[in-house]
Amino acid sequence: MIQLKSMLNCIDNSGAALVECVQVLGKKRPATVGDKIVVVIQKQRSLGHDLSAAAQAAVKVRRGDISHAVVVRTRKGYGRADGSYIRFDDNACVLINKTGDPLGTRLSGVVGRELKKKKWSKILSLAPAYV
Amino acid sequence: MASKPSLWPLTTLLHRRTVSTLSTATTYTPPPRIHFATRPNPTLPRRRIKVYPPPPGPLTTDPISALTTAQIKALDPSGSRAELFSRQNPQAIRPGDIVYVRRKNGEPFSGVLLNIRRRGIDTSILLRDHLTKLGVEMWLKVYSPIIDSINLVQRKEKMARRAKLYYMRKPAHDFGPVRGIVSDWVRKSYAAKKGSADKASQS
Repeated sequence: MIQLKSMLNCIDNSGAALVECVQVLGKKRPATVGDKIVVVIQKQRSLGHDLSAAAQAAVKVRRGDISHAVVVRTRKGYGRADGSYIRFDDNACVLINKTGDPLGTRLSGVVGRELKKKKWSKILSLAPAYV
Repeated sequence: MASKPSLWPLTTLLHRRTVSTLSTATTYTPPPRIHFATRPNPTLPRRRIKVYPPPPGPLTTDPISALTTAQIKALDPSGSRAELFSRQNPQAIRPGDIVYVRRKNGEPFSGVLLNIRRRGIDTSILLRDHLTKLGVEMWLKVYSPIIDSINLVQRKEKMARRAKLYYMRKPAHDFGPVRGIVSDWVRKSYAAKKGSADKASQS
């Protein structure tokens, strides 16, 4: 149940670590796995002092940037049609651009399988594991 | 008058004796014992009043439990699934054990059993695992036809002193990933099956 002021972990390598949701897109209720949201970057991944210029250029977003994102894990959990119910230990998202392509190139961590049903197969293919 | 019965009741004997000794002028005619109601118009045909058989009563006084039993019988005819979580069975799966669930379509899921929610046909179990260093919990319906098998991988050494082990969500008591234990068990069970199949084919 991601809504305004919800904090999410950003699990891709776009440069963001922690983001805050400001808007849920497409529906008038809290977001769940597979929904698009608008986020503000709250914390950046530590770049390290001795990082090369190329590596610094690869970071796509900075603190205070506004971006679109897709929710991939929720602590609230959700039910499936077969009667099972799944819940993660944190809220997580993946940053995307306006066309729906992920900003990062790699994901870390498990994601929910609902991404396939909601047509986020690109993100699902990047994920190391899904449940 | 009908023939005299072999044994008159005593009262009639008394009555007949007194009446016969006392009265001489009139003969006593007892009133008719049965009185038929006269039909208002005897020429009309008799009415035949239809008598219907009583409607069938309810099959059961508790339809919900009857339905639950019927559904469980349909989904678990051998009773093995119910036996796995039965309170009476000493070999049942208990909270704290590691459970491996195989599904007919999709990946298997394993984890520490935190909770058995007994609700008749909707009986479900809560399994907690760690995937990519993140805790994941899943409720699975025990009688679901999607579930191929529920297997006990490892029992808790000591019986858990609670029925609901939600304290295991805290880092101090969190079991962690069960992948290693489960993969060992899967390997062993597969080897055992293969071994028994080989023996059967050899003999």
